[in-house]
Amino acid sequence: MSKRVVSAPHDLTTSSGFILPALVAARLALALLQPFDLTHDHHLSSPLTSYANLQEGIYLFKQDIDPYSGGIVRHSPLYLTLFTTILPNSRFSAALLWTLCDALGAYAMMNIYRARQGIKTSSRDGLVAAMYLLNPYLFLPSLALSTSSIENALVLLSIMFASQRKPSQTLLVYAFLLHVSLSSFLFLAPLLLLLISEPFSHLASPRAFSGDFKKLPPLLGEFAVCFISLTMASTLISGGFSWIGQTWGASLTLPDLTPNVGVWWYFFTEMFDHFRPFFLMVFSVHLLIYIAPICIKFQYDMLYAIFLLAGILGTFKAFPTLSDPGLFLSMISLFPETYPYLRYPIVTSLLHLHAALLLPLFHHLWLSQGTGNANFFYASTLVFACANGAAVIDCVWAGLRIAIGEEKEGIVIAQE
Amino acid sequence: MHWRPACLLVLGIFTSLIHGTHIAEEQFEEELVIKSLEDGRVASTFTFTTLLKDASPRDPRTLALEDDEPQHYTLFPLTLGQLLRQYAITELHLTLNAGKWKYDSWGYPVAAGVGTGAELYAWLADGAPSSIDERWQGLRNALAGLFCASLGSLDEQRTTSPHLSFPPEGLLPDWDGLPHEIRHASHASEHVCTENLTPFLKLLPCKSLSGLASLLNPHRMFDADWHGMGLHVLWRPEGVEVRLNFQMVSDPLRSSTKKQDWSFSSLYDRTVVRTCPVAKSSRAVVSLPNNGVYSIVPEPSTIEAGKGRYDLKDKKPDETLDIQMQWGADFEYPLTSPASLVPFSVQRKLHGPTQDRGQLALVLQNHGSETIKVSYLETMPWLVQFYLHTIQIKVDGVRRDDLISNISYVLPVPHSRPATFYSILTLPGRSTVTYTIDVTKAFLMYTEHPPDAQRGWDLPPAVFVLLDPPSGGQHVAAQGFRVYSPSLLVDLATPDFSMPYNVIIFTCSVVAFIFGSIFNLLSRKFVIVRLDG
Repeated sequence: MSKRVVSAPHDLTTSSGFILPALVAARLALALLQPFDLTHDHHLSSPLTSYANLQEGIYLFKQDIDPYSGGIVRHSPLYLTLFTTILPNSRFSAALLWTLCDALGAYAMMNIYRARQGIKTSSRDGLVAAMYLLNPYLFLPSLALSTSSIENALVLLSIMFASQRKPSQTLLVYAFLLHVSLSSFLFLAPLLLLLISEPFSHLASPRAFSGDFKKLPPLLGEFAVCFISLTMASTLISGGFSWIGQTWGASLTLPDLTPNVGVWWYFFTEMFDHFRPFFLMVFSVHLLIYIAPICIKFQYDMLYAIFLLAGILGTFKAFPTLSDPGLFLSMISLFPETYPYLRYPIVTSLLHLHAALLLPLFHHLWLSQGTGNANFFYASTLVFACANGAAVIDCVWAGLRIAIGEEKEGIVIAQE
Repeated sequence: MHWRPACLLVLGIFTSLIHGTHIAEEQFEEELVIKSLEDGRVASTFTFTTLLKDASPRDPRTLALEDDEPQHYTLFPLTLGQLLRQYAITELHLTLNAGKWKYDSWGYPVAAGVGTGAELYAWLADGAPSSIDERWQGLRNALAGLFCASLGSLDEQRTTSPHLSFPPEGLLPDWDGLPHEIRHASHASEHVCTENLTPFLKLLPCKSLSGLASLLNPHRMFDADWHGMGLHVLWRPEGVEVRLNFQMVSDPLRSSTKKQDWSFSSLYDRTVVRTCPVAKSSRAVVSLPNNGVYSIVPEPSTIEAGKGRYDLKDKKPDETLDIQMQWGADFEYPLTSPASLVPFSVQRKLHGPTQDRGQLALVLQNHGSETIKVSYLETMPWLVQFYLHTIQIKVDGVRRDDLISNISYVLPVPHSRPATFYSILTLPGRSTVTYTIDVTKAFLMYTEHPPDAQRGWDLPPAVFVLLDPPSGGQHVAAQGFRVYSPSLLVDLATPDFSMPYNVIIFTCSVVAFIFGSIFNLLSRKFVIVRLDG
């Protein structure tokens, strides 16, 4: 049986120039029509990214009440100041802004793909953009005006700048990203390494890290300057350091147990009080331990390392929304060379389909209908975690297996 | 022998000196107010006031030192006095009520504190070696022990400082400008019962043996449609006053009779046999109806402004007092709403079909023709969190967001501090103002749920105070009077309580499976094995 399951349809390649604008226009029309109010959906926005909480923060900020003295506002002061000064704050402008973020994300994906192939324009541009804009895990949170769409656009922009070897832009965008979403810390090492190496695919021909480590300290310094100045700005804006505990602290101490698609919330709802700090530490450190092994194993292809870490974040971060696994799934389109080597793509896809049907159903049964209980929704988040985990495992497998090439008569490929 | 009378004289002077310096004069008064209500019920309010003359609250700075004030009380309750001095409390109010006070048909109560459940607030000065919050905690626990009530649960999850809606009723001493602060907590699901009444009676000088307190029969008190008790300590220029009150609303129509008749024996199943000998005054005041045929036995000693007064001190030792009110005609329930008893009425509801969010709605009706302003206070536990940006105010369906002003908001802290939301609402004359705000309902850890988690959580009542009523109107007396809305019940989503081990095991298994698989791949490498032959 052939393992080549995905290939670009011919019509997409011919009309790729129109695909991005057409999809963005459709996306904008949908955002403006607002067929459903999704802003409170727990799958699409977490307490850290919810539009209602952002609006509350902006309201309190305008009323001169410190939004970080307690309560539910966990957005960065940078968002608050942007929405009270530069950016207009209305439902209409929000529809425009979030569509713009999606368009930027798709554009960045296209450029990352071009940079990886080392070409100015490619026949798969349209497909890559469509993979971002048509992914329901991405456009539903964007319709719900979850700020995770903005964070995804920032992730992709920083990867794009890194692939294009533009250090200052990369570090600035990434510093902003780290400010608004602390768990993006996982991308720091591979992004810096990508800046000093190259974005081209070396998955099929592994080799030692090609970059020059001497370039690293100035980059780190520049990043530190960006990050510290943003921290200072945030402190000045909010008039104190209370925002740190309220925003960054939230993803470490999980003060809000609102259900989401991740594994943290129910675990810490049911956790015994005296074990809570220990397991909070375990879950936070667990995210960090993937950085070094993945960066070392894929030292010849940092872009792939970033992609895998995005998958880890989508599975295990503290307050995930659907757009976190969505980003990982859409980024698969950047690595078409690995498709023949995916381990169990059918099983993984079916798991995802299964979870995608169960999640909204069980959420509704528990919180709205009242006929199901919390375990139903918890079970569906476990299925979802398995689906995301399986996808990451598939991609790790494919990324390593590609180096051996196709299996031939008379040989067997085994793990040592 | 000339020295003996002289010696006695000296001794007499000496003892009177001791008395003069150390034992403060005390004064005890009791009063019962009975009023027939519009809906046929009868409200009775017992008030017992003890005044410790020329006493003043303890300066918190002296808390580090030994208390040099002797507490030689005869009428003033010693247990309470010790507690007030130990924590240097300037002013204290505790109410324990059961039921919903219906302002629209009952008017304002004699004592303002009628919020459902337990409510405790105190004014304390800073400057003590221990912080205000530590003393507040000590006070809560001491009162919980004194009144056998779950006041210990009025912890930091329920404590707020709403100084605008709860101004001190008496005076605050000026100790070189030490700041006074208020601590307030309420617990709507606390029930008042006989075990709270017994310690209450123990604080009275005559207990329930004589005087008006002998009417406090627990079988009738806690059978009433509405009942509640209160303890108030405040400092007045004359001294420290302790006021204990018990309010009840009984329904004479509940039995088969169709008349609104009442008597001491029908309301309380008791009569006054002995008067309290130490009471300086002992009065019963009955509000006499303006219209209708009635007879009242015995005749009041004085009648003024529609109120008949009885002085229990005039009672002969061998007679028993059993005031009886009898009506000529059957009671007819007023089908058309009478002229409003209150300047404005309030409804408060929590809407929303789901367990994750909802909407808090207030409907305020101004019965008068002039614009009035009311202050609105919510002391909301963190379980229900407000979205202030969604506040909408409508007058008869038209959006009027200008009617809310002076918003002050203390944000809640998840798993600890409640929110304090204070604002001033303007109610145009003869209008219905609808106020709505979106709320989210919190998700709690499984250890934070009470044993009967499915019952829901009681939310404390909102408090409204009428500010500057129109001059010359009938409701001038209502100014500054606290109006409590009914408490609310919120249904929070519950986790499965039987699952902690299972959840820990399942989640850890999934994490371990993914972690293991990835590290298995990362730590091993693919090799080609040739199959020979």
